[in-house]
Amino acid sequence: MNVLEIRELTKKFGEFIAVDNMSLTVREGEIFGFLGANGAGKSTTINLIASLLRPSSGDIRILDRDIAKHSRFTKMNLGIVPQDLAIYKDMTAYENVSFFTGLYGLRGAELRERTEEALKFVGLEDKMKGYPKNFSGGMKRRLNIACAIAHRPKLIIMDEPTVGIDPHSRNYILNSVRKLNEMGCTIIYTSHYMEEVEEICSRLAIIDHGKIIAEGTKEQLVATITDVKEIRIELKKGSDNLLGILRGIPGVRNVDMKEQTIRIFCDLEVDNLGLILKALIDQDADIRSVEEQEPNLETVFLTLTGRTLRD
Amino acid sequence: MNILRIACKELLQDLRDRWTLIFMLAFPIVLMMILGFALGNAFESTQTIDKIHVLMKDTGENKALSEGFSVFSAEVSKSGILFEELKPGVDGKEEVRKGKYADYVELTGNGILLYSSNFIKLEHQILQGTLTAFAEKFKVGSTIAMLQPDQMEVLTSGSTDHNYIQETSLIPNRKPGAIDYYALAMTAVVALWGAMSAGQLITTEIRQGTAYRLVSAPINKGEIFAGKVLGNLVVNMLCVVIIIFFSKYAFGAYWGDHLSVVILLLLSQVIMAVSLGLAVSYIFQEAASRAILLIITQLGAVFGGAYFPFEEAGIEMTRLLKFIVGLSPVHWTNSALTGIVYRNEIWEAWPVFTVNIGLAAVMLTIAALIMRRKEGL
Repeated sequence: MNVLEIRELTKKFGEFIAVDNMSLTVREGEIFGFLGANGAGKSTTINLIASLLRPSSGDIRILDRDIAKHSRFTKMNLGIVPQDLAIYKDMTAYENVSFFTGLYGLRGAELRERTEEALKFVGLEDKMKGYPKNFSGGMKRRLNIACAIAHRPKLIIMDEPTVGIDPHSRNYILNSVRKLNEMGCTIIYTSHYMEEVEEICSRLAIIDHGKIIAEGTKEQLVATITDVKEIRIELKKGSDNLLGILRGIPGVRNVDMKEQTIRIFCDLEVDNLGLILKALIDQDADIRSVEEQEPNLETVFLTLTGRTLRD
Repeated sequence: MNILRIACKELLQDLRDRWTLIFMLAFPIVLMMILGFALGNAFESTQTIDKIHVLMKDTGENKALSEGFSVFSAEVSKSGILFEELKPGVDGKEEVRKGKYADYVELTGNGILLYSSNFIKLEHQILQGTLTAFAEKFKVGSTIAMLQPDQMEVLTSGSTDHNYIQETSLIPNRKPGAIDYYALAMTAVVALWGAMSAGQLITTEIRQGTAYRLVSAPINKGEIFAGKVLGNLVVNMLCVVIIIFFSKYAFGAYWGDHLSVVILLLLSQVIMAVSLGLAVSYIFQEAASRAILLIITQLGAVFGGAYFPFEEAGIEMTRLLKFIVGLSPVHWTNSALTGIVYRNEIWEAWPVFTVNIGLAAVMLTIAALIMRRKEGL
């Protein structure tokens, strides 16, 4: 069964096309990764699913019902964890969850039970009376999740739920996503952290310039990239000047640098490692290690979009 | 039910916002106290006047006048106006100039002459008024004497029912003191402040990201809108009621005998102010709407006479100033409140009530139409 079905969806802001004739299907029980660089159209798509924006054309169906025609039903089955925190800082954790859950028609003992259950699920059961203004970033993120799941939606959209938090909270959230999925929730997950997506998503789509440019399991996507290899070179000291020089070497498709590590994406059949190393030595670069990587999602993303996920 | 849930949430948040609440309550109370005491004298409605000593000279040229005046002077002496005969060799005008007497009166063949060193002084004005009343009566008497001489007795009989001094007041029941005035004016200002908080109602949800959750919940925008407006109305009305009772019991401000009508009138202004705030926040961008509402509320307060009443401050009310003052919601409400509280004229509430609710309906409609067309909240 399809939990989410997007058909020929387009959203225009004046002349700018944020979502361009997008079609997408998310099946029941999936953790679906939604990848795209900043400005690719991810958030606009999520806002359209959440009814925060109205489509210019096309339609969105949740559990086989059109969200425009069956707004109440589809919203009842949808939980949104927005990228920016959506909690009241002057209300306690309990009051926040209880207020938002109450909007889904829950009352009395059932509301209390669901509120406590959600707070317990995200590990905030001992902070029920605490105010978010006194919470750490990770605790606020977890409360943000609790507010979205207490009404037990069938589809949960998590937009960058681990941005700017400590590793402990991040692991807690990732485990929570898995648990929710085991409990029967279908999840759409977006993140800038490719390793998170690789770790938890069963299927994913890559969006660029408002269009889905690839869709499938991790293995399926990686298999499509048969002509690219990634060379990682760790330097003692990185320099941006090197990137331009490396880009000029035959067979190099793209180059990026994170801290002291340069990632070079090259045509698989071109043997240009010698040229690359020579170029670096000529520039007095102090090479610490050289490593050829197996293609992964990062390679796929860079190959397809020409950008890294964090661009 | 969702409307009430959202309204209760608004109430809870506003009551927890200690600093805003303190500002909403303490500022008008402190201002009421400071202005009430500082301008206390400007509002004083009673002035005690001791006996008025008047020097007089009767030239004896008009016998009827002399006789009539004798009766008159005896009568007004009971009210504290004492006429003393000018002694020979004394200059009456000089005596008045020296401040020994309030005024100097001469009865001549041509009538009554009145001299004063200070025409603005209340004593002079009382005497002038009293003499005018006498002169009018004397003129009537003279006419009667000519036409029906048998009725002359009326003028000279010494009857004691001549009422030369009648106490009159523009507001016979009660006139507001400074604290009374500022209690009404400041409460009307607090009611108008509802526009400021209402201007932030939707933008606050957008700023803190919670608009996202509200819109994605299975409730319609109308419920969100109504719940937030209702909550804001209750909070603002609560502030108004607290100000009323605080001024009444802490400062002894007079609120009259029709408190329910007063509260109803102020509620209409709160509704109008909240609607204004919402409409402005939907029409303009956040920063612009905040500035516009600040200007409207401040000018409304100034021209509504919240900080100083124009008439009492001696400011000439030109036509333009009258027009501007007339645009201030604080002025409308304040005027109606004065009528209800001090003249028991309850009917004065209804035109203002109608205007407030009418404007509120127009502005809420504008806000609702823009909201419906807008994506999100």
